[in-house]
Amino acid sequence: MKLTEIELSLPVRIVDMACNNQLVCRRLNDLGIMEGTLVSIKKRLPFGGPITLEAGNQWISIRRCEALQILVEAV
Amino acid sequence: MTVTVLAGNPNTGKSSLFNTLTGSYEYVGNWAGVTVEKKVGTLKAGKGSLIDLPGLYSLNPLSHDEEVASRFLMSEPFDSILNVVDASQLERNLNLTVQLLEYGKPLLLALNMMDVAKQNGLVIDTQRLSELLGVQVVPVVARSGKGSDQVLEAITDHAPGTALEPYSIWYGDTLEKAVAELIGQMPQGTASPRWMAVQFFEGNSVVRTSLESKMDSAWLQRLYQTAEEAVRSEFGVRTLSQYMRKQRAEHIQGLLAHCVRHTKEGHLTFSERIDRIVTDKYLGIPIFLLFMYLTFKLTFEWIGSPLSDLLDAFINGPLRDGTTWLLDSIGAQDFIKALIFDGIFAGVGGVLVFVPQIFILFLIISFIEDSGYMARIASVMDRLMELVGLNGKTFIPMIIGFGCNVPGIMAARTIEQPKERLLTIILTPLMSCSARLSVYSLFVGIFFKSNQALVVLSLYVLGVVLALVLAKLFSSTILKQQESMFVVELPPYRIPQWKTLSRSTWEKGKGFVRKAGTFIFGGSVLIWLLSYMGPHGWNVPMDQSFLAKIGGLIGQVLTPLGFGTWQAGAALITGFLAKEVVVSTMNIIYAAPDTAALQGLLAGHFTPLQAYSFMAFILLYVPCLATVGVIRKETMSARWTWFSVLYALVVAYVISYAIVLIGRALGYH
Repeated sequence: MKLTEIELSLPVRIVDMACNNQLVCRRLNDLGIMEGTLVSIKKRLPFGGPITLEAGNQWISIRRCEALQILVEAV
Repeated sequence: MTVTVLAGNPNTGKSSLFNTLTGSYEYVGNWAGVTVEKKVGTLKAGKGSLIDLPGLYSLNPLSHDEEVASRFLMSEPFDSILNVVDASQLERNLNLTVQLLEYGKPLLLALNMMDVAKQNGLVIDTQRLSELLGVQVVPVVARSGKGSDQVLEAITDHAPGTALEPYSIWYGDTLEKAVAELIGQMPQGTASPRWMAVQFFEGNSVVRTSLESKMDSAWLQRLYQTAEEAVRSEFGVRTLSQYMRKQRAEHIQGLLAHCVRHTKEGHLTFSERIDRIVTDKYLGIPIFLLFMYLTFKLTFEWIGSPLSDLLDAFINGPLRDGTTWLLDSIGAQDFIKALIFDGIFAGVGGVLVFVPQIFILFLIISFIEDSGYMARIASVMDRLMELVGLNGKTFIPMIIGFGCNVPGIMAARTIEQPKERLLTIILTPLMSCSARLSVYSLFVGIFFKSNQALVVLSLYVLGVVLALVLAKLFSSTILKQQESMFVVELPPYRIPQWKTLSRSTWEKGKGFVRKAGTFIFGGSVLIWLLSYMGPHGWNVPMDQSFLAKIGGLIGQVLTPLGFGTWQAGAALITGFLAKEVVVSTMNIIYAAPDTAALQGLLAGHFTPLQAYSFMAFILLYVPCLATVGVIRKETMSARWTWFSVLYALVVAYVISYAIVLIGRALGYH
């Protein structure tokens, strides 16, 4: 399923980082977010704004369109 | 003298540590080839210097900031690296550490935020970590200064030149073969060959350019592609850089398994609770606006203005009397007296009285930066910024630009996308900086006494709205985007430390004070001379002076805008030096002894509508000299520099004209 579809605060595992935008993908990698990482969604901003991810106790804000391309599985 | 470089991820307490380790520091001009200033501090023991680099996540750069840092590490001489690591984010931070170790320079690891790690339930065996990495590890709490003595000792005792055995990670047979092949082809004498090869395959553009200058670039490209395809088919990853990052992550996880224990689940309750409110679905933007409104209230009405009044009273009371007495007692000539009182006191003194307000504003901006709220603002604003072709991060330089456009434009270096960065650079001058504040302060004090903060806020909003409209215009015409990018780390909230806060406020504000002593001093003398001389000799009536002649030419063009006087024209020309010189010029032209007297005089020369139109013109018309300089440096393009000057002039004219027309239609004049 897509990262945007999961419930708030429910931890899931990333199975595919299929970002079209290589810059975003690289930066997420730098922050230690890659296939196999456990993440959860902490917040969704309104009007299609960014979502806040939590991974390894750090919070990261990314755009919804990029989050849509990240596939995750339940743990 | 040893030279140590401070490197680490953003938000790891690098500046705090820099401040505790160094007594004094200075900005040193450009590095060769890179147009950036470096911050160099003298270590407290006096035995060496410490260079602060921009924060970076990886040696493989994405943003301009990171490129500067990795270029420095590759090409500048230094003795050792002090790597600051956030203990509570050890795994991510070690990604950079491992890359630095692979590079092979002597390294000392400062393990910061041990207290936070402990709260999060992490127990770190620093002794074991040190053995595993083969470097000295010193736990510190940079905020309280704990452990900084040991760090200082370790740096200064480090015998320079004792290079480490480069640290090596096995990246798997397939890639290692390609690495070996590349090393084999490198010209003799290449420094850190294995590191160069590893970084090349990870996609490091700086390393790649360096290799391409010495080797066949087509061959390099083939080698890269073959390796990527091999890795792709063998491991099912998308890119080589993802594969290498993963290999390194596994290596780091292996290390951490030996030296880190989790005692309990971590909690982020404090930050979480604050975030629930300040980034709330509906309240987020209103809270931000309220925050900005309070900022202006503090700056103008509650703290800044009363302090400014006190300073004004001092300059024009005891200081002026003292100077008069001194000049009289040495029997100074009238010319000298006129120069000092009508030129320097009016010009420099008139600007210095705004120092308290400007420092309050810088203090609040530093607070936003240090507390962690800045990243939240970026996140809350992203949707809006995306609509105009930018991203939320571009809002950060704009907010810093409220203090001063120069650091604002430099802050755009953290924006990864080159076109978004360029757009931010040319639009940041529309942010109303503190120098312009002195002009508004002067005018709202006369014409809008009862709602000063609101009128000034409206000018700030005008700047922001115009920036957004023009962003949309430019991004859909001359600066079409390929892909926009937004990834922002939201650091935990921290209560800013007084020491760091005051130091960064001073760092931002001292430029303003320095300008008063240089630019504004020189400008004031020049303006006064121009007003003292005319075609018919010395000591002429002001409206016969050279200044009136020059200002009159400009004034004619400005007549439709409602302030077509030679005084306004002259003030605008000199305002290009620095916007606060407008105040100096007016003080000199109207021969006002102090701010109150000038306000009385101006009340007779402007109507409220003309004053507002004039303020809007001051806000927009041309970035000041220092800003134009930094635009040139940061864009490295004369064309874009000219563009940012010219579009601003056009916009200023159109907007001021519109204000006058609308105002008249509403019955003001």
